Amino acid sequence: MGVGSRRGLVGLGIGLALADSSVVTLALPDILRRFDVEIPTVAWVLTSYNLVLALAAVPAAYAARRHPTVAFAVGTLVFAGASLVCGLAPSFALLVGGRCVQAVGGALLVCAALDLLTELEGTDARAVRTWAAAGVLGAALGPAVGGILTETLGWESIFLTQVPLALATLVAVRRLPARPVPEPPGRPDLSANLALLLVSGALTAALFLLVLLLVDGWRVAPAAAGLIVTVMPLAAIAMSSQANRVGGSAVRAAAGAILVAGGLCALGVLPGSGWGWTLVPQLLLGAGLGLALSALTERALAGRSPQAVHGGWTIAARHAGVVVGLLLLTPIFTTALDRNEDRALRAGAAAVLDSDIPPLDKLAVAQDVLAAVRAADGEVPDVRGAFDDKPDEPAYTTLEERLVSELDRAVTAAFSRPFLLAAGLALLALVPIALSRRQVSV
Amino acid sequence: MRIAPLLIAIVVGAALVGAYVALGGTSYEPSPVADPCVPRPERPTDASGERIELVLLAAADETACTLGVSREELVLALRSVDELEVLARSEGRSRDELEDALRDGLERAVDEAEDKGLIGGRTATALEFAAERLPLGLLLSALRGASSFLD
Repeated sequence: MGVGSRRGLVGLGIGLALADSSVVTLALPDILRRFDVEIPTVAWVLTSYNLVLALAAVPAAYAARRHPTVAFAVGTLVFAGASLVCGLAPSFALLVGGRCVQAVGGALLVCAALDLLTELEGTDARAVRTWAAAGVLGAALGPAVGGILTETLGWESIFLTQVPLALATLVAVRRLPARPVPEPPGRPDLSANLALLLVSGALTAALFLLVLLLVDGWRVAPAAAGLIVTVMPLAAIAMSSQANRVGGSAVRAAAGAILVAGGLCALGVLPGSGWGWTLVPQLLLGAGLGLALSALTERALAGRSPQAVHGGWTIAARHAGVVVGLLLLTPIFTTALDRNEDRALRAGAAAVLDSDIPPLDKLAVAQDVLAAVRAADGEVPDVRGAFDDKPDEPAYTTLEERLVSELDRAVTAAFSRPFLLAAGLALLALVPIALSRRQVSV
Repeated sequence: MRIAPLLIAIVVGAALVGAYVALGGTSYEPSPVADPCVPRPERPTDASGERIELVLLAAADETACTLGVSREELVLALRSVDELEVLARSEGRSRDELEDALRDGLERAVDEAEDKGLIGGRTATALEFAAERLPLGLLLSALRGASSFLD
């Protein structure tokens, strides 16, 4: 097998493992219904994977540095086996348990992959670039692929599809020569890893909150939402290919963090509720993603050996950032949604009372809308149902559109604060980036 | 260190955020509801059902103003006495205060409507009787069905 094919397969393995940090985002509503669990509980399908990946990455990297080929093979088999368990899980507990085991396998294969790429690419610098690019692509494409699979084949297919793909990557390590035992690892680059943590936390908001806004907020179908958020990875790919022309890694990292902050700020002040408003912010986020994550990964690994151990630190930092992002932003978003739902209800009631529908219908419509809100149980209600048995007259149509508009405004405004807070995380990353610049020059 | 890429990133980010703010991004939220203590602009009306509706909406404004809640919160709680009590408690009011506010609000709105010639004497008398004498639960039922009852 040629070097290019092996490299592609190893990259596929990295992409699969890192896509799993976000791949089920669009499947969460289906999983919630399948196992009849609460919203904070279902979020553990995402959180558990990222938490275990963050905790297991460094130990996995230490294990991988002596026998990267074996570590990659074992990690891949564990990842594939756990994916199968997740896809067939009869209970929510087993699904989350499977996700934890998946993360252990993912940590092992991703860290071992860095050493394998060094073998295949010939130099540390090229290996790091390929490794970082595969990770960025996987993480960015995850929600889109997950959304399309969920809508076409069901959420289980996300995990079941991974099994043959993961097993296929094992071909890459067949008869690959083992590396000699490397020297003891040095200290990790704290500044670069801290910046990675902060930028990753911010990007979690970009992916997690954006798909939530599209699907649960604006009622976009999961597959369509998946296509909409592909703007981000496409921008990331486009920017990654031009990244080296931008400047050194510190400049790329800082410019990337600023673009991520700008995109998130724009999502925090959306002037409307159509998906079209998210496209330009996504371009900025994708460009920032393409610049910042790869540049910070390069900085964290530059001049450090062995690569697998320091790669493990970057994985730990990135996924700790995802967990921080999820744990920090989810309650803020939930509180804002509750508050804005009350405001939307009052605004909707005002619209009903001041509308031109017959007086006798006003209280009935207001109460039907209230019932729809209560039946939604914390999710975004379908107020159009309150008009199902109403006449097809302009007064009713106008009122229905007004109510939907008030609800859209409330939902969109509820996402504002989490997006702005996430932008703050991205800007905060500029501090360790500036500190890191003094320590390492690439 | 090259600063041009940083400046470009700042300018692009700021331009997008500025454009979204200029397009109304900071005010894209649920419409604020009107203060029930501030008189609303008068709505011309001919149909008797609409006139009764205006009286009831004015009564809701009067009551909401007294209780310190919005007219909309009050109307949404009109479904039952229990829900009205929850609303009153959230504003630190007792059930008696709530009942007084409802009856007074309706009486004031009926008086004003009669003075303006919006409703006739018999309708006003019927509404005032309801405001003064009916038990709270029955009064709510009457208010919910008032439009058809008095049309």
